[in-house]
Amino acid sequence: MAILEVKDLKIYFPIKAGLLNRTVDHIKAVDGVSFQIEQGKTYGLVGESGSGKSTIGRGIIGLEKITSGKVYFNGVDITSKNGKEIRKNLQMIFQDPYSSLNPRKRILDIIAEPLRNFERLTKKEEIKRIEELLELVGLSKESMMKYPHQFSGGQRQRIGIARAIALKPKLIIADEPVSALDVSVQAQVLNFMQDIQKELGLTYLFISHDLGIVKHFCDEISIMYKGRYVEQGTKEEIFNHPQHIYTKRLLSAIPDMNPSNRDKQFRIRKKVQQEFDQRYHDYFDSEGLAYSLKPISETHLVALQEDVQKVR
Amino acid sequence: MTRVYGLSRDLDLWGDLMELGKKETQSQQNTENNPTGLKILWSELRRDKLALFSLILLIVIVVFVYGISFVMNQDEIAKVDLFSIHKPPSKEFILGTDYGGRDVFGQLIIGTRNSLSIGFLVTFLSGVIGVAFGLVAGYFGGHIDNILMRVLDFFQVLPFIMLVIVFVSIVPNYTIIAFSLIFTAFSWMGVARLIRSKALQEKELDYVQASKTLGTSHFKIIFREVMPNISSLIIVTMTLNLASNIGLESGLSFLGFGFPESTPSLGTLLSYATNPQTLEHRWWIWFPAAVMILVLMLAVRNVGEALRRATDARQRRG
Repeated sequence: MAILEVKDLKIYFPIKAGLLNRTVDHIKAVDGVSFQIEQGKTYGLVGESGSGKSTIGRGIIGLEKITSGKVYFNGVDITSKNGKEIRKNLQMIFQDPYSSLNPRKRILDIIAEPLRNFERLTKKEEIKRIEELLELVGLSKESMMKYPHQFSGGQRQRIGIARAIALKPKLIIADEPVSALDVSVQAQVLNFMQDIQKELGLTYLFISHDLGIVKHFCDEISIMYKGRYVEQGTKEEIFNHPQHIYTKRLLSAIPDMNPSNRDKQFRIRKKVQQEFDQRYHDYFDSEGLAYSLKPISETHLVALQEDVQKVR
Repeated sequence: MTRVYGLSRDLDLWGDLMELGKKETQSQQNTENNPTGLKILWSELRRDKLALFSLILLIVIVVFVYGISFVMNQDEIAKVDLFSIHKPPSKEFILGTDYGGRDVFGQLIIGTRNSLSIGFLVTFLSGVIGVAFGLVAGYFGGHIDNILMRVLDFFQVLPFIMLVIVFVSIVPNYTIIAFSLIFTAFSWMGVARLIRSKALQEKELDYVQASKTLGTSHFKIIFREVMPNISSLIIVTMTLNLASNIGLESGLSFLGFGFPESTPSLGTLLSYATNPQTLEHRWWIWFPAAVMILVLMLAVRNVGEALRRATDARQRRG
């Protein structure tokens, strides 16, 4: 059974205007998204900024109000009520390691926060747990008494991870966990996240805009555009057989290190651009949004118009 | 990022206060790397000589006034003595006497003490109410914010002075505490508005969101996470408020709605100056009180201004 199941999730933000501050319209940040994540897998959510990928994560954990749709965690409906048990098993890693740690608190108090909320530990046990956690994320015991500003970005993100795994959750929502870090530190944090995934049997919902990282990290990937899914499939399917023009465009935009491939890359990009110009309306409806998903294999779903498929 | 970041974020008043003593020797080096808020406040105060002087003067006056008034007998001072009316300053009466033969110096000390006590009390009480109110409104936002802000608006449109005068005349037992409570009821709104706006900003930051996902209660988030992070703003606002609150009692007493004459007050001493005779020929009655009010308010204000500057990196002198 899937550990997390999202059914037709919609999160709309009201646009208020006028003298009486009435709701005149909605921004459809997330517009009918469904997916499920298997235990122990990493599910990647990719899209440009403003596509609603972060909003999905925040909606699942309860930081945004869900307009409609259902979220099931281990088969339990957690759409509106977030029980203590669920909170404990569902944690989040935040994007910005600089603002996600309270600058007024010591590392000890930051990591102990979830422990103090959910578990009754004596002072000694608490210290011992935090020492273990710090060791797990590769920081020294002495860090405990320091304040967040005394650490580098990568270290701070690892402190954020230590806080998220303190309660041994089953699912972690990682909202662009490395996008605020420089490339060498990105790899370090990502490898570390993979290590603890194996060690603790974690499941990740990995939100990112970086296709390279997603390729390295995720088992299943979905591509989002303007609040809707355009394509969903396994890593191989998305990277080797992209079907939607938006996915193709994203993939063709990945820079190639090898200079001898330069002309080839250029031709590919040109071809994709041509297809985009000519067949735009086969992929996007009159409002410029993606169509609903159609399965083209067991795991691979693409947002296409019905008849386009037949033409192929 | 260290300096700008440090100032608004890194302010832990009480913790640093404790540390300040301990780390005095190594503070020079510490301020270079990661100045915490209180150290910034202190260094700004030290650089602004006027503010430093004001602070020292203020401390001297406060200690002096509270110390002396401790050994003074208020009933003795308020006692009318018909044989020593309008005596100019002499050995017996350092600052002379008023029309009831009462010692002006004694009245000045007790009056200053009363003004200071009321100032501190009103600032503290309105600060507590305003901070709590503003934090709750700003943190929750939405409907709660709307309702709370309309309540605040209601308090703000009330004719403040008139209501205070009415309250003052119907309260039977007129003490410093009663006076402070009445004033507090009408002076917490400014603080609340300011804190609300800051809390609205603060609650959007990830560390607040993180605390929510970690299952921390709203109450804890508001007072243990958000409040310490805006403590510099709280300190500055309270200091500047103190300057105006010290003059509150004097103003009302001057108008005749403050303490009765049996309770010495700076405002009562000042109001004697409405008598042209006193104004012209008996300066010792009103002049010291006027200087005292001026000095107190200016001194507190200087300190407050220096603190306010310290919270804005662009305006700092150091």
